[in-house]
Amino acid sequence: MILIYDNSFEGFLSLVYDVFYQKLKPLKIHKKLPNEMIFEEIHFIKTNEEKYTKVLKAIKSNFSKQSIEKILNIFMCDSKNFEMHLLEYIILGFKSKKELLNINNSCVFYLTNLEKELFKNVHKMYAFIRFEELEDCSLYGKLECKFNVVYFLAKHFLKRFNNQNFIIHDINRKLAFIKIDNNFSIQKVSDFEDPNYSQNEEKFQKLWKSFFKGVTIKERINLKLQQNQVPLIYRTYMSEFN
Amino acid sequence: MKTDIYEKMEILSNSAKYDVSCSSSGVETNFKKGELGATHTSGICHSYTPDGRCISLLKVLLTNICIYDCAYCINRVSNDIQRAVFTPRELADITINFYKRNYIEGLFLSSGIVKTEDHTMTLILKALKILRHEYKFNGYIHVKLIPGSSMELVEQIVKLANRVSSNIELPSDKSLKLLAPNKTKEKVLQPLKYARDLSLEKNQKPIGMSTQLIIGATPESDKDILKLSSALYDKALLKRVYYSAYIPVNDDKNLPSIISKPPMLREHRLYQADWLLRFYDFTWNEIVNDEFPNLDEDLDPKAFWAINNLKYFPMEINTASKEELLRIPGIGARGVFKILKARRFKRLTFHDLKKLKISIKKAKYFITCDKEFQKEIPFYKENIRTALIKPEPKQIIQQPSLFDLSSITGEI
Repeated sequence: MILIYDNSFEGFLSLVYDVFYQKLKPLKIHKKLPNEMIFEEIHFIKTNEEKYTKVLKAIKSNFSKQSIEKILNIFMCDSKNFEMHLLEYIILGFKSKKELLNINNSCVFYLTNLEKELFKNVHKMYAFIRFEELEDCSLYGKLECKFNVVYFLAKHFLKRFNNQNFIIHDINRKLAFIKIDNNFSIQKVSDFEDPNYSQNEEKFQKLWKSFFKGVTIKERINLKLQQNQVPLIYRTYMSEFN
Repeated sequence: MKTDIYEKMEILSNSAKYDVSCSSSGVETNFKKGELGATHTSGICHSYTPDGRCISLLKVLLTNICIYDCAYCINRVSNDIQRAVFTPRELADITINFYKRNYIEGLFLSSGIVKTEDHTMTLILKALKILRHEYKFNGYIHVKLIPGSSMELVEQIVKLANRVSSNIELPSDKSLKLLAPNKTKEKVLQPLKYARDLSLEKNQKPIGMSTQLIIGATPESDKDILKLSSALYDKALLKRVYYSAYIPVNDDKNLPSIISKPPMLREHRLYQADWLLRFYDFTWNEIVNDEFPNLDEDLDPKAFWAINNLKYFPMEINTASKEELLRIPGIGARGVFKILKARRFKRLTFHDLKKLKISIKKAKYFITCDKEFQKEIPFYKENIRTALIKPEPKQIIQQPSLFDLSSITGEI
């Protein structure tokens, strides 16, 4: 049997409910109907408020704080097919809380590694996202990442740019974190025109490039090592590489 | 001749590049509401130069003008190179603007000596005051203390910076005398001792301090170097010692003249040994001794120690203590952590280690897993050494040639 849910967290919790009470035996879980031919039985999950609040309540009272956080974090890894593992993890957690720490278990190990991969990506984005100054002195940063990291970046930069206005824009997911004075939130952005930059912007980008050139030691050049550290995929918005 | 700001930046970052230290880690987050900047405990590398080194801080000199004449230094007074100066305000403005664009974690400020030591330190202090007080900047600041400056200035800098350092550069007094006649080891370490004593007096957590040693410019062995590092760590003086492979920048009769390439492998091995000192509870004389004063080129220091101390092996993964596990070649702190976590639930086999993605390429010669062990290589020093060094055999697939009849006729 193949289950299809609407890609939302609530939808997934409803799926957990149905699997549990209707004793479904899924082989695969998809976010949408796949294009290729399927000979399996297909079952669509309807997101249902009564079901997901019930499951959420049960998770909150049965799981440790760490496990709950892990479930939420895994949901940020939206480009991976984590659903079967996560389902197994949640069922396992209801049986025995302690088993969720057993990294010999394949679903626990998979999710632990996936979470690690997420944090690795988050850390890379802490490092490699670049901001540009706009006309009104606010800072605008564009990003592309295989996982949904806007929430983590927002938390990080709220500490750093506490007295600045800034925007973190996830181009592919069409999401943006916007902070103006003391108000901030993550919003959906449908279309976005390229803004006007401040007069200083060019000067500091040029200075940064001069610095980058200056600190290189020619006797030690090792482009392979550089590419290991900053894979090409991150370089789209990094001015020193253009 | 007047240089524009871009040239100035290139000159002054170029003059600072031989300082290896660029870490921004080890400081607890210190964010304040309504201010700019916060440090990140693990540190963040914001870019990597074509030589593969990380850029975490804006590493520049305030000026590359210097009254000293150290033989190994590119900025020595007798060198005919372009000189430039940043004003403290210029530097503070650039730092803030780089920080807002997320180019850097903060500032690494050093300087050549202008006029006197105290005059130079006063200029550095001025830049720090603008950053901390005027711009309310809480990002990371690392300052190179100038040996020979007054205690009051050191005290003020220590209050504002996150880390301070002073480079010994040469591992023995003899070499220092030869190559840097104005410096002694005592003089270089003096400001760091001041800084330590100041924080001890006030019962504060001491500020992080570091130093740098040049590798390969003078005849000291790895033993001399590691002994010195270890002494510096033991006295709780330093958090980090950096090693820098010597790159000839000047011609000097006292320096090795023909070095085709900087001794990078030696630098790498020293860092590995340094990690063993700091995180794996090794002592320097376990790693190097009179018989082997230099680190092995083919084997990393931990594997080298292990094959010379086979009496401790093979170790049983399921019963060895954490300290013992840390001594197994090829298994690092993360691997040990995973083993400890996993063996609470079951007795681990080789297959389990593989499933946990722990590499046993090196470790397999030194462990047993639930009484299982590798059987190809006999448990003797020489056999294991050869096995560790020998690259994995590549499978060569021979394509039969059209005109090679031997495969058909069976002739040899």
